[in-house]
Amino acid sequence: MIRKTRRAAAAAIALGVALAVTGCAGGGEEGGGSAGGKVTLTLWENAQPGAGAEYWKTAAAAYEALHPNTKVNIQTIQNEDLDGKLQTALNSGSAPDIFLQRGGGKMQAMVQAGQVQALELTDTDRANAGAAGIAGYTIDGKVYAMPVDTQPEGVYYSKDLFQQAGITAPPTTMGELQDAVAKLKAIGVAPIAVGAKDAWPAAHWYYNFVLRECGQDTLKKAAASLKFDDPCWTKAGEDLAAFLKTEPFQQGFLTTSSQQGAGSSAGLVANHKAGMELMGNWNPGVIASLTPDQEPLPDLGWFPFPAVPGGKGDPAAIMGGLDGFSLSKKAPKEALDFLRFLVTAEQQKAYAKAFVAIPVNQEAQAGVTEPYNVSALQAFNKAPYSVLFLDTEYGQNVGNAMNTAVVNLLAGKGGAADIAKDTNAAAAKG
Amino acid sequence: MSNTLGTEPVDGPQSQGTPRAGRAAPSARPAPRPAAPRRRRGRAKLRFEIAVLSGPAVLVFLAFVIFPVALAAFYGFYRWHGYGPPTDWVGLRNYRLILTDPAFQQVLWHTGVILVLSLAVQGPLAIGLALLLNQRIRGRSAIRILIFVPYVVSEVIVGTGWSLMLQSNGALNDLLAHVGLGFLRADWLADPDLAIWTLLGIISWKYIGFAVILMLAGLQSIPEELSEAAQIDGASYWQIQRLVTLPLLGPTIRIWAFLSIIGSLQLFDLVYIIWGPYVAGTAGTSTMAIYMVGQGRNAGNYGYGSAIAVVMFLISLVVALLYQRFLLRRDLRGALTEGAS
Repeated sequence: MIRKTRRAAAAAIALGVALAVTGCAGGGEEGGGSAGGKVTLTLWENAQPGAGAEYWKTAAAAYEALHPNTKVNIQTIQNEDLDGKLQTALNSGSAPDIFLQRGGGKMQAMVQAGQVQALELTDTDRANAGAAGIAGYTIDGKVYAMPVDTQPEGVYYSKDLFQQAGITAPPTTMGELQDAVAKLKAIGVAPIAVGAKDAWPAAHWYYNFVLRECGQDTLKKAAASLKFDDPCWTKAGEDLAAFLKTEPFQQGFLTTSSQQGAGSSAGLVANHKAGMELMGNWNPGVIASLTPDQEPLPDLGWFPFPAVPGGKGDPAAIMGGLDGFSLSKKAPKEALDFLRFLVTAEQQKAYAKAFVAIPVNQEAQAGVTEPYNVSALQAFNKAPYSVLFLDTEYGQNVGNAMNTAVVNLLAGKGGAADIAKDTNAAAAKG
Repeated sequence: MSNTLGTEPVDGPQSQGTPRAGRAAPSARPAPRPAAPRRRRGRAKLRFEIAVLSGPAVLVFLAFVIFPVALAAFYGFYRWHGYGPPTDWVGLRNYRLILTDPAFQQVLWHTGVILVLSLAVQGPLAIGLALLLNQRIRGRSAIRILIFVPYVVSEVIVGTGWSLMLQSNGALNDLLAHVGLGFLRADWLADPDLAIWTLLGIISWKYIGFAVILMLAGLQSIPEELSEAAQIDGASYWQIQRLVTLPLLGPTIRIWAFLSIIGSLQLFDLVYIIWGPYVAGTAGTSTMAIYMVGQGRNAGNYGYGSAIAVVMFLISLVVALLYQRFLLRRDLRGALTEGAS
């Protein structure tokens, strides 16, 4: 009897050890395994449930129909969780083959760690993806991600609420914006929604003041030196503090999240509780997923960030991001083929429709009809230059410190000068 | 070893009813043998049983507690952004930075305030409630359950629920306005003067049930004869509680305080869910654990975050050891001598 128990115990231990060992190593085989000619590609993206998530399923199915030997395994990961999970996966060697890439300092870090592949693009790929998008993902002449959409940032607003409040034209200067804020307050809605709990949406207000206050050279220099000594950094903070005095944001904005549920900032716009929100081009899709019927908001409009008097930045310059997809180091060659498939005109049209976004493919861009996307696209095409979101551009630890400092400013806990100070300190700490 | 075992009487399940299960029970043996080899075999068997029974737990403990702690100590010596293996050895630089980091001093202060106020608020309240619930009053079990329920509910649900209610456009402010107390409306979560009190309120609401259950168990272990005797000697109700019950409740209170202190030092989930890593700092509710995650994962300073984790570990360890050395010693000695006699 004892021998039996003992054998059982030994077996249990052996099983436990085996499980632990395979548990540690298991992830490695998941992606990129090509057994018997069959290839499974894993892809990580951050779509909201709804049309966006649907797009990925359809795209995968369409690709599989064309390539019977390939299976595309789509995994949706919540936006704020994506960075951390991806980093862990990349380090542990269990990275997905294909994953969402936003460029900037984070991509640079991945490239330096040798965790992403340089893409061999054909002329057709380059034509499909467009020069601007590819330039955003190029380091030292090598391309590390395939762009899928451009995200010019600006203010999304409700045309109905603007009309009710008696605002006749979208604001073009800070003075006009403040005027609009007062008029929206008068009709009892929150003028501007911002999800400061996530920090970055609040920080984007600061970024755009920076875009208007600092010249292009200053921004470029800061990206290289990670020193934020030019007085324009503090000036932008002062602009934000002065704007905050007009109480433009919804009540309790510090504990509002940006994309989750009807109470989030995007949800407030989706339900006509707030008039405006400063966001990148993913916002119409997010708003659409939060309207009562989960349909795009019919009266949504867009205008570029207003001009700031006396700033050194070009008033037509645009802040923006890119969504694209990188291949992890071990991804099989079929993964690149799937990226090529994503930027074909047909896929780009479907993508633009599902995400209500601006695709990179020119032929698909011609099909953009939503008024807010048309305005954004026009502003983007007119812009003398565009600047990547600062927390992406300057890397994670600097970006994080800048975002936190902006939240402090909005909470009344820090001054405009503290933003540059904290950011400099973080750059030294990293 | 196994072939001798087969011929021996099995002292497995049959003899396990005695407290010395696993050891040799010589009186039951048919043929007495020389003592020494028997005991050696017995000891080897005992060791084997200990290894088998505790082995899996030890493995899990090594893999998920000791290994990560060691790993954090290792990462703490690097400047590391988290992509690829750490290569940039910086020695004690991260620890020097912690010492001069005003943000860390701030979270240390918040943690201290939460620790002290949790003890000061929950302790007396829990003792009072336990005394009340230890009497035969109507609906006693219902009240006990009501007090205990929040402790059972997960932190995520508690945090989400309270943050919805306490939003500036949330239920509490609406309620205040409806009952004519509109002047009391406030930004309970974001106002730095209020937020720490809001947090304490939620913590107390959540964890008081656990304290009350502990205290009740402690009260029930106090023999009733003692208070009856005191009553006969003419002591008043308050005198009995103060001079008889409370001193005898001492061990329970000290154990509860210990658990509460360790819990406060490691507080994370409630704050993370209600405030998030960014706003917690400005609202004054950030804790050491929040700062660690903020610096590690959100800012991507994994080396620095690991160093914070090590400091946190050391603080908890020192507090725990000091507490055991000076406050729990008497209680533990009692327990140990009782077991050995």
